Amino acid sequence: MTSQTDSVASLSGVSRTFKGKTGTVHALDNVTFDLKAGKTLALVGESGSGKTTAARVLLGLDQPSSGKIEVLGRNLGSLKYEELRLLRREIQVVQQDPFSQLNRRHSVERIISSPLIAFNIGDKQSRRKQVIDLLKAVGLEEEHLNRRPHELSGGQCQRVAIARALAVDPKIVVLDEAVSALDVSVRAQVLNLLREIQASRGLTYLFITHDLGVAHYVADEIAVMFRGRIVERGNRDDVFKQSRHHYTTGLLSSVPLASPTAEKRISGQVQSLPSPVEGDACNYRSRCAVGLDREDCKSLPMQITQGSSTHSWLCHSPVVRP
Amino acid sequence: MKFKWRYSFSGFLILLILGICLAAPILAPYDPNAIAVADAFSGPTAKNWMGADDLGRDSFSRILYGGRITILIAMAATLIALLIGTTWGLIAGVRRGWVDEFLMRTADATMAIPQILFALVCVSAVGASIISLPIVVGILLSPTTARMARSAVVTELSSDYVTAAIASGTKRSKLILSEVMPNIAPQLLVQLSINAAAAVMLEATLSFIGLGIQPPNASWGTLMLQGYAKIWNTYWFVFFPALAVTITILAFNAYGERIRVTMDSRRSSV
Amino acid sequence: MTSALVVKGLSLSVPSANGRVTVIDDLTFDIPAGRRVGLVGESGSGKSLTAYSLMRLIKEPVRIEKGEIFLDGQEILGMDIKKFRHLRGNDISMIYQDPMSALNPIMRIGAQIIESIQLHSDLNRAQARKAAIELLASVGIPEPDRRIDSYPFEMSGGMLQRVVIAIALSGEPKVLIADEATTALDVTTQARVLTLIDKLAAERGLSVLLITHDLGVAAQFSDELMVMYAGKLVERGSVNQIFSNAVHPYTKALLNSHCDYTTDVNKPINSIAGQPPRPDNRPTGCVFSPRCAHVQPECREKVPQIEMVHDRLTACFRAGELLELGAVNK
Repeated sequence: MTSQTDSVASLSGVSRTFKGKTGTVHALDNVTFDLKAGKTLALVGESGSGKTTAARVLLGLDQPSSGKIEVLGRNLGSLKYEELRLLRREIQVVQQDPFSQLNRRHSVERIISSPLIAFNIGDKQSRRKQVIDLLKAVGLEEEHLNRRPHELSGGQCQRVAIARALAVDPKIVVLDEAVSALDVSVRAQVLNLLREIQASRGLTYLFITHDLGVAHYVADEIAVMFRGRIVERGNRDDVFKQSRHHYTTGLLSSVPLASPTAEKRISGQVQSLPSPVEGDACNYRSRCAVGLDREDCKSLPMQITQGSSTHSWLCHSPVVRP
Repeated sequence: MKFKWRYSFSGFLILLILGICLAAPILAPYDPNAIAVADAFSGPTAKNWMGADDLGRDSFSRILYGGRITILIAMAATLIALLIGTTWGLIAGVRRGWVDEFLMRTADATMAIPQILFALVCVSAVGASIISLPIVVGILLSPTTARMARSAVVTELSSDYVTAAIASGTKRSKLILSEVMPNIAPQLLVQLSINAAAAVMLEATLSFIGLGIQPPNASWGTLMLQGYAKIWNTYWFVFFPALAVTITILAFNAYGERIRVTMDSRRSSV
Repeated sequence: MTSALVVKGLSLSVPSANGRVTVIDDLTFDIPAGRRVGLVGESGSGKSLTAYSLMRLIKEPVRIEKGEIFLDGQEILGMDIKKFRHLRGNDISMIYQDPMSALNPIMRIGAQIIESIQLHSDLNRAQARKAAIELLASVGIPEPDRRIDSYPFEMSGGMLQRVVIAIALSGEPKVLIADEATTALDVTTQARVLTLIDKLAAERGLSVLLITHDLGVAAQFSDELMVMYAGKLVERGSVNQIFSNAVHPYTKALLNSHCDYTTDVNKPINSIAGQPPRPDNRPTGCVFSPRCAHVQPECREKVPQIEMVHDRLTACFRAGELLELGAVNK
């Protein structure tokens, strides 16, 4: 729904299907969300949830089977390749693996200046200066200019990747598990850096993660994905304190907390055996303690329940909240 | 730990062989075609280091000049194989789809043809010369290069850094050259070495069976052919050219192996 | 309580441009029988190398410089390797992060379990197959008599990890080492696998060394926790002690930098400035001193040894006073 801040990018009813060996795989199934200017949307899900596919589709790296993708008012589907390429200046990405997302044969300087070169910005001297400024902005030094990725630590590589993403001054940055491969203390440093950069540059983030703790820290809005569908969406309190979808509650109860409470919060859950989804019915049913026995959950098509202006979910029998 | 494979022993050996053979006119003690019947059939002596053949021609000089021809043909063939093969494989790897299928099945088909038979057909058609032989050998070696290039480019194109380059706005046309090539260069170099060894082998084989360089010009293979008939009494006719071929092939293979091992050790770290 | 595993003075080195450098420095700890001990640390802490040392899987260029490891009283580092191979997989087992690469992709999982069973027992094929099916059932694989003939690629990550656990436990070990065993799994699968290990360990009186970088996993699964930094053991205590009142500055800083949904979203996360030292660039004195908030001149000159301070083991000169401060600033 509309809010005070503008929507800078959106997916509307986007589906992406692949023909796999065992039938069609719905990597994305009627996904709709939007990114609001200056805010962070966290896309949370496990492997196979479709969150990475959503990112790729938003970045124009993959074509949806149906639905519309808009970035800064432009419909990606209607763009020719060169127009799409030019639009990339506004939306950049930082990926998960710190080392493999940097070309191991290039120096740091070359890596960070590559978007500048691609968009013909400045000349060699001005680019060098810009790169040095970017290095400082991400907490690195001029001495790192000539280093190669394998000479840097994971955290440093990730900073280089962030510097590269910022080089052309984008409006939107997609962070695809950008801190997942980092050590705990390095993760903290990079999260702080990302927050600081977002504030100073007014960036919009799409933050993809499987880590609920990180999602909680970074997000203004959270969308929980399960097997290609957004099953719940809301702000921090909505999702963490008032979760309605059983997958969300299951996820929250599975996360081991780093606290000394004697009560072991690890819960065993229903076995997840893959089972075909009947059309538009619930895709979580086979894992849901509640839905397994309900007839509705087996065949009734899903419809979004709008709980409040910020909170919505996809469930016939959601968790009851006072 | 950077192992400078440029300075390895096999690398040095290759340069030595190349240098010696290419400098044949300067180094050879005698004119390779100079007939000196008086010295005919002499074994290795102070005068003829590697002996003399049935016409008294100095074997050492003939080997030097012969090496020149073999090396030149082999190097030219290797370069041709590299150019054809790399382009072949890159196009297949970048385009994928039916282009990929078509190109790779063609490569498979070419590899399935017995090499000697292929050479025979080609040589019958265009004759054997210092121009045609590199092309024939080059074509024979290009399918393996193509397959290697294709697989290398496909692997690299699925890497995160290529995704990052595309997302950063790099044009597709620039991708291969600026991002991918530096990463597959070592593999190409290995293939180059292996091809060089194979090219030497092929040239020597072809000349040995009479499909290659014809007398009076003599490559190592031709020398072996000439000496083969007289192997029992005058072993040195065959022995020295064969030794030269063997050492050259081993040197190229060893060099390629060295690079490969260095690449592998760089990739895996504790 | 006897110790299932005792490590004394273990030191490992690797080559560098300046000769050999230390990657594990004088590591000493023990795991009592039936206890769950978590080992946490970041990259470069040496936790994985510790695990490999316990299984004698250290190969050049990494070298064990000195140390002793006692498995159920027997010293295993000096033991004849042939003799140790009987123990490896049998008395001490390890499970790794990636189940796909731990299993042979072209062999049915049943064959792999049976192979392991027959290696460590005298059962014939039929008996081993029966035992394998039971083992699969005990690790929670549904329809084990059917699944036993599946190939690894037909199974999900969580199920594969269960198979790996089954193989690891087939020899009835006394010590199980889990090296980031759930890191590659989804959170919900991770929870199930940890519950499984928990259950099996309790049933069999297993000692478990759980190596992880995930503080949450360490907290929930372990009875005790060891913290390593740059090759040194810096603190050890019960889970309660560590999480309520850690005393070593690194442990405290590590816990503070952990981000979960109890972290205050309105403030930057308390990260530790700088990075861990490279092995060829270890600082003199305490290895954490360059980044320590409580550093004193003494810390840069002498290396603190791990010792009992009040109720836990820690390697810090200021442990005593920091413990007092911690109790005060709750």
